[in-house]
Amino acid sequence: MNPELRRNLWLELSPRRITLMTVMLALVIFAAAIGKDAEYRPAAVAEILYFFIVVFWGTRNAALAVVGEIRDRTWDGQRLSALTPSEMTWGKLFGATAYNWYGGFLLLGVILVSDLAQKGAGPAVLNLVYLVAVGVVAQATSLLASLVAIRRRQRHTRLEVFGYQILGLIAASVVWDIIEPNGLLELLHGSKDTIVWWGQPFNSRLFLVVSLVIFTNWIIVGCHRAMRVELQMRNGPLVWLGFLAFMGIYVAGFDAWLSTDKTMAEWTATALRLGLAASTFGVLTYLMVLLEPKDIVRYRWIGAQFANGKIGVAFWSFQAWMFAWIATVAVSVALAIAVNGHADALMAQAFIASALGFLTRDVALFVLFQTLPGRRRGDFAALMALLALYALLPAIANSLGVANAMPFFFPKPSDPVWFGPVVAWAEALVVTTLSITRIALGEKRAS
Amino acid sequence: MIEVRDLVFEYPAKRALDGVSFAVAPQTITALVGPNGAGKTTLLRCLAALEMPYSGSVAIGGLDTREAPRKIHEKLGYLPDFFGLYDDLSVRRCLLYAARAHGLAPALANAAVEKAAARVGLMDRLESKAGELSRGLRQRLAIGQAIVHEPKVVLLDEPAAGLDPQARRDLSMLLIALRDAGMTLVVSSHILAELEDYCSEMIIIDNGHVVGGKPIAVKDVERAHYAIELATARADLREFLAAAGVDVVEADDHRALIAFTRNPGARAKLIRDLVGAGFEVASFAASGKALEDTYFAQVGRAGEKA
Repeated sequence: MNPELRRNLWLELSPRRITLMTVMLALVIFAAAIGKDAEYRPAAVAEILYFFIVVFWGTRNAALAVVGEIRDRTWDGQRLSALTPSEMTWGKLFGATAYNWYGGFLLLGVILVSDLAQKGAGPAVLNLVYLVAVGVVAQATSLLASLVAIRRRQRHTRLEVFGYQILGLIAASVVWDIIEPNGLLELLHGSKDTIVWWGQPFNSRLFLVVSLVIFTNWIIVGCHRAMRVELQMRNGPLVWLGFLAFMGIYVAGFDAWLSTDKTMAEWTATALRLGLAASTFGVLTYLMVLLEPKDIVRYRWIGAQFANGKIGVAFWSFQAWMFAWIATVAVSVALAIAVNGHADALMAQAFIASALGFLTRDVALFVLFQTLPGRRRGDFAALMALLALYALLPAIANSLGVANAMPFFFPKPSDPVWFGPVVAWAEALVVTTLSITRIALGEKRAS
Repeated sequence: MIEVRDLVFEYPAKRALDGVSFAVAPQTITALVGPNGAGKTTLLRCLAALEMPYSGSVAIGGLDTREAPRKIHEKLGYLPDFFGLYDDLSVRRCLLYAARAHGLAPALANAAVEKAAARVGLMDRLESKAGELSRGLRQRLAIGQAIVHEPKVVLLDEPAAGLDPQARRDLSMLLIALRDAGMTLVVSSHILAELEDYCSEMIIIDNGHVVGGKPIAVKDVERAHYAIELATARADLREFLAAAGVDVVEADDHRALIAFTRNPGARAKLIRDLVGAGFEVASFAASGKALEDTYFAQVGRAGEKA
């Protein structure tokens, strides 16, 4: 057996704890069975308890699977073992939550028996699969959140662990929405029966279940990749590039999301889909630059590789947000070419260029704040700066009646048309230059 | 067994290791010493492939830490300065987990557990929970976990911290036994006295550099350290000894520390020569603090304050 799973089973499934869980659940189910309240029949009570034990409590244990090891100073010992990233990932995911799953399986037994009697085999099995999926997705999301977080900082407060648990619960609620008839379907498409994706209608339930399976796999792949980093193994960019490609294709495929804005009325479907993909990559750039540790030493090292002409080595060491930024730029350029020839093409191209300039300025701002004194709060300071740049300063400018100043703060059509992009890229250039200078100065000081 | 070349390790605002190079021979015990904050723990973590160098290389048993960190982890035993144990597991299960996590097959793991427990003196505690052990016994269990898979290289960061004198003596004997069993050990500490008993070489780290540029032999089978004390100060003591072909470790007008042959006849002749030259020799005795003497000779008395 996987040693990490076995160790967790030793710790989690002691005879005393197993007895306690079994007796407690048996008593509650028995009480529900002899009760007269129709709303609290055994299966319904079991389902409520399942969500509490597997989803709510399980996400907490999953979030603590690695954070707890760091807190108890056993993490270095695990990192120095011969355990593979897969063994660690599965051992943590199902080991740290073994007690929850023990209780969960007892409850699933009650639910299955009830469903078989009342709904038949098909729905019973489907409900079983759904309940297990909710638990796995929620716990894997919490584990992934904690693994991403420990790369930024080793010490974690209870509140932060609660935050990782919340992310797991959000993931569980998404799964819930997928199954719930009035949930995500409304958002993805006006019709609840079919989803049109890349022009093809799909049965919405089937489409969402397949999506759920694929995203669950991506979450587990994410855990595995983060675990590899913890075990000092190098991750190449191919898997992340694969994820970017998947996300671009997946999001761009939703016909319901193609813009119906009158300014894009003449755009081809390809251009609209490129717009969706570029937006997706832009969002992923912001997300990753916020989540990843802005490792100044690593940036120096990448710079040194570039300076030594080792372009391939430097490229291979890029962080995920850098690849997402490159993808955003590449797809945006393709979009700018795709809209060429349409009415207002120049305006659209200027808007795209402005948006790229502001994106570049913003990621450079995150890096810059990491090089300043008090860098532990660098991300928070960067977020505050962005809040000021996107909300506070435009509001002040508006109040002062300087509406022409808006291109300084947003990607916005301007007169003359070149003004917006030039301003955005000038800001990007200033912040990027400052960031690189600070990193270079840091190297000088360190050595 | 361990080869470090031009190792540079940086924190965002500080270069912790700057061009460190040295080699450690197999089946030796090497002391890693230096003042607090000198870079000892960072160096140990680089050796353990827990931190990747900014530049330079670290090779353990011929494997580069950048290229094959997990293979190195398999071969390595590491005791961090602040370690944790699974308090709710028995000693047996703690050791069994460590053995299995280091890739030992189930059939071999139980025997390895018994061997490690015997080595660290925990055979009678195998069924006790780790959380019930005293500090000294916890230290033994942590060392047991580090060696249960018979690693080729063992790295210990401040292993004697907080141990009582008997436990320290036991630790010394254990480390010597591990060396004799074929392991290569690097022991970090800033308490020189505790390293005296078992270290054959010493690497002094100060401000991210290896003082003297290489490991220093602490124990010399041919020669020993002797302390000479004069009743009356003589400014030419160092020059006289040097002229007599004696290796002076350190000297001032009153006393000198020398590395000199263990041959009694040669020592008698040196004493005769000193007295003949008018030095009032008050004492001439073997120094029991070879490692400490060498350390302060290398870093100077300023290091004592640090």
